[in-house]
Amino acid sequence: MMRKREIGKLAGAMSWIVGTICLLPIVYLLILSVAGRWRFPLLLPEGINLRAWSDLLGGDSLGWSLLLSTLLSGSVALVATFGGFIASRYIARSGRSRGLLFLAYLPFAMSPVILGACIHILYITIGLAGSAVGVACAHLTFALGFGVVFFARFWSRERRSLEDLARLLGASRPQLYRMVLLPAARELLLICFMQTFLLSWFQYGLTLLIGAGRVKTLPLLVFMYAGEANVQYAALSGLMLIIPPVLMLWANRRFLYRYM
Amino acid sequence: MVLTVSNIDKAYGGYRVLSDVGLAVDERETLAILGRSGCGKTTLLRIIAGLVDPDRGELRLRGETIDHLPVARRNIVYIYQEALLFPHLDIFENIAFGLRLRKVPEGDLRRRVEEMLESLELASHARRMPHQLSGGERQRVAFGRAIIVNPSVLLLDEPFSNLDAETRAAMQELFRRLSAAYGIASIFVTHDLKEAILLGDRISYMRDGKLLHFSSKREFIAHPDYGARREMDFWRTLGDQINERE
Repeated sequence: MMRKREIGKLAGAMSWIVGTICLLPIVYLLILSVAGRWRFPLLLPEGINLRAWSDLLGGDSLGWSLLLSTLLSGSVALVATFGGFIASRYIARSGRSRGLLFLAYLPFAMSPVILGACIHILYITIGLAGSAVGVACAHLTFALGFGVVFFARFWSRERRSLEDLARLLGASRPQLYRMVLLPAARELLLICFMQTFLLSWFQYGLTLLIGAGRVKTLPLLVFMYAGEANVQYAALSGLMLIIPPVLMLWANRRFLYRYM
Repeated sequence: MVLTVSNIDKAYGGYRVLSDVGLAVDERETLAILGRSGCGKTTLLRIIAGLVDPDRGELRLRGETIDHLPVARRNIVYIYQEALLFPHLDIFENIAFGLRLRKVPEGDLRRRVEEMLESLELASHARRMPHQLSGGERQRVAFGRAIIVNPSVLLLDEPFSNLDAETRAAMQELFRRLSAAYGIASIFVTHDLKEAILLGDRISYMRDGKLLHFSSKREFIAHPDYGARREMDFWRTLGDQINERE
């Protein structure tokens, strides 16, 4: 009994330590983003400067990048999740599912920069280089493959029998998706959306190559400000880069743990 | 006749599964099809349901050909060995599924599902999820879900084979009661001799992809090749021996 209580206390203490370690960089970035002069060996900044935050809220380049990154990653995640779901169903039903799944894995076999270099010429030729749509398409090369591979195991024999049963009971194709397949895969869809959102959200090399520096997503901005030694802006853009994934993780925690 | 099946052939990769199969099922009638595992019974049911295309042959429902009709529009429901309940729906919604597809008004739907739950003796389980039920209860829900849509023909593919003897007997009784109450024509596939005799109004026997018909259950039982007479003799002899000892 005593032992259980001790273990409980230890687990609680460990949770606090791990939580603090995870939160510390975020708090540090928050302080940096509002810090005025902060010279060694001062423990805290000398004053507060909200210039970066007012730029963000005023819709300057940082605010615009945040909006662009959110829209871009959201669209990529949406298409990759539902596209992957539907494509993996057809792949599972085809007689060549192993070969097709291998093709879906292929983008992961090479690094994003190498893949970007390979498809760059194609994007220039078709006029997609340097545009947000082009960057989204390049991100989809990875994200859609991920979606297909992610849902591959969902299409089991039992799932096929359930589909057949729904059709026997009179379900049309839209009804089959709306009343059987999508509700049954709800948790997986949420997880896949989150994962593909993060794949796109943190993408740097591919965005730089295909976007030709004109599509300024948040990761690009972080590197740019860090390169300029603009600590306050780099900290704020870094903070913006972290916050949405943390929020998504928090919102999906329930579903993630239930599935795993 | 509700359903007429004529000259059905089906082969997989050169191996002939069904050969010139024909059958007919009348209103309110249960045709029991007996046969060993792998003799083609399931393939025949899947062809009738529209889940598999035959290589040759014709299917007619109340005189109309249904070969071209998609699965969803045949109004033929299939009950599998496993109950296959929709895991994201509770018991009420599982039974209501077919009615919701047909956009039955909410009040009517509620009344019909509650009546069905009563006749399945599952009224107290309405809001439970499928994983909270036993195998027999799940199979009862599968029955209710199939029958409530009033199908033209009900296809049953060894639906009780995964159940224990007591539950199986209870389910056989339930099937007899429900099929009589709703007046549904059905094809019941099984490899259990007693089950076929008990539930079938007529019996057919499938062997090597061919379907053999009997004019009556009496003719089937009397035939020396199908084991019914042998089984009856076994139990009679056993009973006599026990009586003599006592």
